[in-house]
Amino acid sequence: MNRTNKYDFLGYIAFAVIILLGVPFLLGFDGFELNTFARYLALAMVAMALALSWGTAGLLNLGQAATFGIGSYVMAMHLKLAASTNNPGGMPDFMGWTNVESLPWFWQPFHSLTVTLLAGLLLPAAVAGLMAAFMFRGRITGVFVAIITLAFMVALQLVFIEEQRFTGGQNGLTGLAPLSLPGWTVDTYSLSFYYLVAGCLIVALLLGMLVVRSKVGLVLRAIREDASRVRYFGYDVASYETFVFCLSAAIAGWAGMLYTLVLEFASPTYMSVSFSLAIVIWCAVGGRESLVWAAVGAILVNLAEGRLSDVFVEGWLLILGLVFILFVIFLPRGLYGLALAMVDRLRGAPRTDATLPVKEG
Amino acid sequence: MTVLDIQNLTVQFGGLKAVNGLNLQVKMGELRCLLGPNGAGKSTTLDLICGKTRATSGKIMFDGTDITELAEYRRARCGIGRKFQVPSVFKELTVIENIEIARSRRPGLWAALSTFRTPIRGRVKDVLDRVSLVEHIDTKAGNLSHGQTQWLEIAMLLAQDSKLILMDEPTAGMTIQETLKTAEIFNSLRGEHTIIVVEHDMQFVRQVAQRVTVMNQGSVLADGSIAEIEADARVKAVYLGH
Repeated sequence: MNRTNKYDFLGYIAFAVIILLGVPFLLGFDGFELNTFARYLALAMVAMALALSWGTAGLLNLGQAATFGIGSYVMAMHLKLAASTNNPGGMPDFMGWTNVESLPWFWQPFHSLTVTLLAGLLLPAAVAGLMAAFMFRGRITGVFVAIITLAFMVALQLVFIEEQRFTGGQNGLTGLAPLSLPGWTVDTYSLSFYYLVAGCLIVALLLGMLVVRSKVGLVLRAIREDASRVRYFGYDVASYETFVFCLSAAIAGWAGMLYTLVLEFASPTYMSVSFSLAIVIWCAVGGRESLVWAAVGAILVNLAEGRLSDVFVEGWLLILGLVFILFVIFLPRGLYGLALAMVDRLRGAPRTDATLPVKEG
Repeated sequence: MTVLDIQNLTVQFGGLKAVNGLNLQVKMGELRCLLGPNGAGKSTTLDLICGKTRATSGKIMFDGTDITELAEYRRARCGIGRKFQVPSVFKELTVIENIEIARSRRPGLWAALSTFRTPIRGRVKDVLDRVSLVEHIDTKAGNLSHGQTQWLEIAMLLAQDSKLILMDEPTAGMTIQETLKTAEIFNSLRGEHTIIVVEHDMQFVRQVAQRVTVMNQGSVLADGSIAEIEADARVKAVYLGH
């Protein structure tokens, strides 16, 4: 905690400069091209949220996509309502097709932009908090956290698919209106929209880094190593774990809201097992111990997917799986570990071992 | 003044009563040694006091509060610190980070969110000087030597500044010089802290103990000064006599 880790800070600044200036410059400040990159940045945000709980406290949330999905549906509900003002009763079209008589009560609050933005952060946090309170008060750790969160996500996705009258079912929520903020109707193919997403990511990273650098981050790292020992020093382990779980969920929900804006629809696939596992892979590739590197991992893997999935339509998932296995075997600390080892070599002090696995929580 | 009062404490694991109707009173500032053959219930007694194990029946009073049902972290907040038999520093953290974890006067989440540095002065500096680790504050605890690791643990106990310190074989694996230095630190701690030590090294016990309690089969067998204990025929029979 005391060691002013200037490389982490430099890394953060470099990352901010690259996505604020470098990428727009390379893509010619073209809003259309940048829209694709904004999508990667939203995914980088959810990867960073996972790294916050997995990398720091060793709590692997395999259901991270659930909180991401909740955020994305919250935003989509608001935009769907905005697009449905001319329909009978102001109801979304799919509700008319399935004979819903009036707009359900839980859709009502999403007319308001403020409620929507707050709910996109607080609803995922509340859901995660409920799960966390149940798990961590009961001292559930390690692989069981992964199983419980995964099972929860599968159940949640089923609810969203089955309750077609209220959620649009398998189709999700489509035909959305553009977001109107006070004084600005968001055009997702504009340069300013790219900067909105990039700005959100940079703020979220800064928030996460502050928490990781504070004593909370230190206590969480200690919990990862030996939770019961931390208890004997008087720390309420469950409340620390619950806090990081909620924060991670809130950031994931935030990313989900942005993702809906980028793609202009919400779909139950955002809560799918394969998407959730993909987040884990991005984190592992970038390095889960560092929030910035987890974000970098997400961007790189998605860039590669954008380029390669056209060429290897069937084979892309196999390639991704292979990459994951290779990283787990040869670079368990991800690109972050590799970067650390290179910095140490440059300074002539071969101290950090890139291949040394960090202790599992 | 009695700081720790254990009344009729029993814990049962299946058919085995590891601690059976134990009564033990420890005065403020006292250094008490617990002796006894293997399986006498010494470590279990420490587990019961710090909350690792819950009592089946009986009562533990600490500083006037009934702590029998409290969670571990609440007992720690009352002022009970524990050092385990196995060295248990956080190997992935640096020395100073270990000390910061131990410095847990304000263990709440919100206080921790606004703490970013450990000040290397005052008590932290004193503690580091005492165990000669000032030069190693940024060393990962996993890279310390065995002796240094033991010192770090003792430093953590000092930084925690508990009213009552529970130690399980603190000198295990130490060299003679290290054991001597440990005895010195213990002697300087008595008075301001109350200490309960489980120890097999009689040499060490003679150097530090004022009062010794010998346990056998989960309850107190004998209790008194080290000379009285060494003269006691029953103690000789179950523990010292071989």
